[in-house]
Amino acid sequence: MKYAFFPGCVSRGGCPELYPAAKLICQRLDIELQEMPGASCTGAGVLQEKNEFLGDTLNARTFAMAEDLGLPIMTICSTCQGVMSQANHRMKSNPEYLAKVNVELAEEGLEYKGNAEPKHLLWILIEDYGLDKLESLITKPLAGIRLAPFYGCYILRPTDALDFQDNPDRQSSLERLIETLGATVVDFAGKTRCCGFPILTINEKNSMAMVGKHTAEAKDLGADAMVTPCPLCHLNLDAFQPKASAQAQRSIDLPIIHMPQAIGLAMGISPKDLGLQRHIVSTKALITKLGVAAG
Amino acid sequence: MDVTFKIKRYDPEVEAPESYWQDFSLTLDDSATVLDGLIKIREDMDGTLSLRCSCRSAICGSCAMRINGHAGLACKMQVRLALDDDNVIIIEPAGVMPVVKDLVVDFDMFWSKIMEVDPYLRPEGTEPDAEYIASNEAMLHLSGVTACIMCGACVSDCTVMEVDPTFLGPAALAKAYRFTADPRDGDAQGVSRDRLEALNEPTGMWDCTRCAECVEVCPKGVAPMDRIMALREQAINAGFDNTYGARHAEAFSNSLEHSGQLDELRLVPNTVGVFNLPVLLNMAPEALRALTHGKLPPIIHKKIENADRVRKLFRRVEDPDRS
Amino acid sequence: MLEHDVLVIGAGLAGMRAAIAARAEGASVAIISKVHPVRSHSNAAQGGINAALTDRGDGWEDHAYDTVKGSDYLGDQDAIEVMCQSAGQALIDMEHFGVTFNRDDEGKLGTRAFGGQRRARTFFVGDFTGQAMLHVMFEQLIKSGVRRYEEWFVTGLIEEDGRVCGVTALEIRTGQVFVIRSKTVIFCTGGLGRLFEPSTNALIVTGDGMALAYNAGAQLMDMEMVQYHPTTLAGSGVLISEAARGEGAYLLDKNGERFMERYAPNMMELASRDVVSRAEQTELNAGNGVNGCVYLDCRHLGKALIMEKLSQIREIGIDLAGVDMITDTIPIRPGMHYMMGGIKTDVDGQTNLPGVYAAGECACVSVHGGNRLGANSLLDTIVFGQRSGVHAAQACRDQEYIEFDVEQAVRREERRIQEVIDRPQNGDRVGSVRLAMGESMNRNLAVYRDEAGMLETMHDLRGLKEKYTRVPVDNKNRVFNTDLVFALELGFMLDCAETIAVSALERKDSRGAQARTDYPNRDDENWMKHIVAVKGEEGPEISYSPVSITRWTPEERKY
Repeated sequence: MKYAFFPGCVSRGGCPELYPAAKLICQRLDIELQEMPGASCTGAGVLQEKNEFLGDTLNARTFAMAEDLGLPIMTICSTCQGVMSQANHRMKSNPEYLAKVNVELAEEGLEYKGNAEPKHLLWILIEDYGLDKLESLITKPLAGIRLAPFYGCYILRPTDALDFQDNPDRQSSLERLIETLGATVVDFAGKTRCCGFPILTINEKNSMAMVGKHTAEAKDLGADAMVTPCPLCHLNLDAFQPKASAQAQRSIDLPIIHMPQAIGLAMGISPKDLGLQRHIVSTKALITKLGVAAG
Repeated sequence: MDVTFKIKRYDPEVEAPESYWQDFSLTLDDSATVLDGLIKIREDMDGTLSLRCSCRSAICGSCAMRINGHAGLACKMQVRLALDDDNVIIIEPAGVMPVVKDLVVDFDMFWSKIMEVDPYLRPEGTEPDAEYIASNEAMLHLSGVTACIMCGACVSDCTVMEVDPTFLGPAALAKAYRFTADPRDGDAQGVSRDRLEALNEPTGMWDCTRCAECVEVCPKGVAPMDRIMALREQAINAGFDNTYGARHAEAFSNSLEHSGQLDELRLVPNTVGVFNLPVLLNMAPEALRALTHGKLPPIIHKKIENADRVRKLFRRVEDPDRS
Repeated sequence: MLEHDVLVIGAGLAGMRAAIAARAEGASVAIISKVHPVRSHSNAAQGGINAALTDRGDGWEDHAYDTVKGSDYLGDQDAIEVMCQSAGQALIDMEHFGVTFNRDDEGKLGTRAFGGQRRARTFFVGDFTGQAMLHVMFEQLIKSGVRRYEEWFVTGLIEEDGRVCGVTALEIRTGQVFVIRSKTVIFCTGGLGRLFEPSTNALIVTGDGMALAYNAGAQLMDMEMVQYHPTTLAGSGVLISEAARGEGAYLLDKNGERFMERYAPNMMELASRDVVSRAEQTELNAGNGVNGCVYLDCRHLGKALIMEKLSQIREIGIDLAGVDMITDTIPIRPGMHYMMGGIKTDVDGQTNLPGVYAAGECACVSVHGGNRLGANSLLDTIVFGQRSGVHAAQACRDQEYIEFDVEQAVRREERRIQEVIDRPQNGDRVGSVRLAMGESMNRNLAVYRDEAGMLETMHDLRGLKEKYTRVPVDNKNRVFNTDLVFALELGFMLDCAETIAVSALERKDSRGAQARTDYPNRDDENWMKHIVAVKGEEGPEISYSPVSITRWTPEERKY
């Protein structure tokens, strides 16, 4: 299996542990990745506030590049996934609009033909790779570990842009992945809610309240860690957890791990190679419970 | 089909009231809606169950409640599509708003927010004798927003209101957009400056976290979040560009324009102002921890390959002289 | 002390229009509604509102003639003239308030064709015109500053010296009983669809105002004129708007034939509603339907038109019947929809009771006579809502509040309500009594009626009224006790039902919505008159009222 790889900005910026971890496990899964060094940021929904058309054009550009490579796109970020899917949905459902976008791309000699289906690694594993096949590569199942899933809004809503109608399994994809890794799912109300990252600089109090609420809920239900497929969520839930904890006036101490890291641990890759030491909220207790050397 | 309705109930008139679950077993037609089931329960089994409902056809907005954890109209939800593997449906009152009894919630806060946005047409200038001339396109666009039936589903599941009830919220903001987008409201160009100015304040349009819950749960396709984004675009275009939210969008945009990628390190200072010491110092602990954990984005921001092409694209699309 | 010059009961289109108009006249106004105003059933009106705009080359006289003919000549022509003359301004007022009406290519208000009218004069917002207008009216109500009693249920009228001087009301949220004093009341309580099962009407449409007024001595007129709408959805009975036919949809029998050819060769599917309903019922009785339904076919209209103009009814078809009208036909049948009859009023909403007004569906002016044209109801509500509001406000200027013992009135009502709550279980349920009434009414007072059937329903109603005096409620508490509200509503419904049955038996001809197999012809010589019912010792007492004829001589009605 080969994909045009779109890691997004944060997996190489604020969450630099994610990019190498993702590449590492793809190697183990025998998934070949082709980078697109000319592809830009998706706009993350923020650019779209200022100019939606511009955002759609940037994403169409990335889609066109992947089409030229003849490869499907893989994302490793819920936000990239959602923004791309929404842009794609708008363009695919309105040929006149797509034509307008292509007028801009023509200046670069690019054309988006409307065939892209960007997919998050999570969906690829569920739909294309197969959880059974993944399970056969699990050498260190996360037995006894209680993981709380945190999807990230952009990979859940709006469902029509994300094709949930044709792919209903996407609704519970993260939970099934957790079970395949041998861990126990901690079900909690916050799993489909918002981490607050988009309003971090606009309304810090609310952003921290959201981080505090969801991490505390999972912690109180006995979670050993929270796992998320979105590095933006990871940033808020991990890097800003101390601030959220202070605002909530209670301790939380819930380690947050990236989805590829969870998979990597179950494959027996060392925590160090997966970058777990970089996290702000210490992952030591989790590693100890796993019974592995920190590496 | 034989089904179980698991309903979260609440009776304020008992001593020390608290909510409790009650199961009802019933047999329904295959085409039954959740509301059909609830009506059957209160008519045939237990008349003490209180809920609001009226039209049965998704136009009055009375029966919004949480079904299997997500807000929606009971009259629009087919039972057979909502059953779990054990033929159970979980029904709770709408979220965010306080519960009065059973599935009835207190809508006072919902309505007070609607009132806050001056929810009636405010045309400036003289009224014509006949109708205002307006394009069908403009009216169709507005009808997509006036389709709102004030059911409260969006408010129920809003992730911001869940932690901060002072947020104006999706329903009120969508209602506000209905007026800012109406060519008859505001000045001769249809720009409603004072509305946009008021909505630009804290608890207004910039407090939405873009989680799309409201888009997902709205039974009428109003897509409140999209309207909030449109409000933001309107506000920026009207010159209200000094909020953190507007500056954030601007800083993000500039970053992409120059390098094709997000320069996370500079995004925060550019949003809040590079000389905004109090806010920057407030973030210092996070920045320090990021530094010691090797998570601080690089000082020298890398551009993507052929970043100049992206810059050219930005210039072309954003050219104010283009039609 | 809760007191207002003008108390409007019901906050649908008519009620809110009346309240705004009364306020504009300087009166102190309050509006009371058992649901929040935007939940009112005006919401469910789909197709549009009629008006003849002179700048389109249309004339109010044409609209009036279509309405008179549509009413099967039972409509009062002086009132119809007032309504049609006022329509243009009423429409423009709504547009100025902010309603987002569809537009034509020049940006002016656009029209669609509608039943019973020879030219297109129905202005619309998609297929949710009622909802669009209702919400705008609520916006204007907020702006006007009228005091609102939201989720308060009027349980009775208070009279002193033969004059209505206030109401008792239940605050549904707390279950507490209050008295509200007023100099005038305007009933805008809508129709009585829940008397019939099924019905297009919402659960709240229970004839409250008609019953309250009737019990206080008001005249109810034309109660036999119950409109069965031709296109109600199989199963739930929810409305599928006439707008579909206005846009060109066909009615097909089980063989795919447009049977309206045989009943109304000129206007086909857009003949007036009673004609179409009877046509369908005749076909169904002859076995030309499937599962008691015929089909509405919109497929040839195309996806673009359906999505732009009929999107709401498409959703209803998908959600409630599993059919997508872009690709499937919709199973429909005639269903109870609207009440032409109601509280008798003049063109200013005045009833025979001093200080008591009525407007909207609960009133009978009569502008609809024996059959209402589609899109005339939305017009009726705002024209007569406004006129009632203005007249009531002006009438208050020279009036004082009537003194009466408020405490006693509260206590009395409290006791009455507590008595209902305290009733022991006896095997009956409010829901089953209502259902029995609804099924009986739908059996014998529907599209085709005869004496034996109607007598059977009279008998049924007598038995149900007796049961009603003892029917218990489950909920013994007060907070949001909907059980109690339903019991009280059932009482109103049974009162209204009786007047319908008596009036229908009385009228020995077929006219408009009344089609009697034992008197199948229209008999202008003997029955060109309104039937009026007033509460008597033994039940409704009948009298007659002449039909106002100004310029259109009654003639045979063909479409």
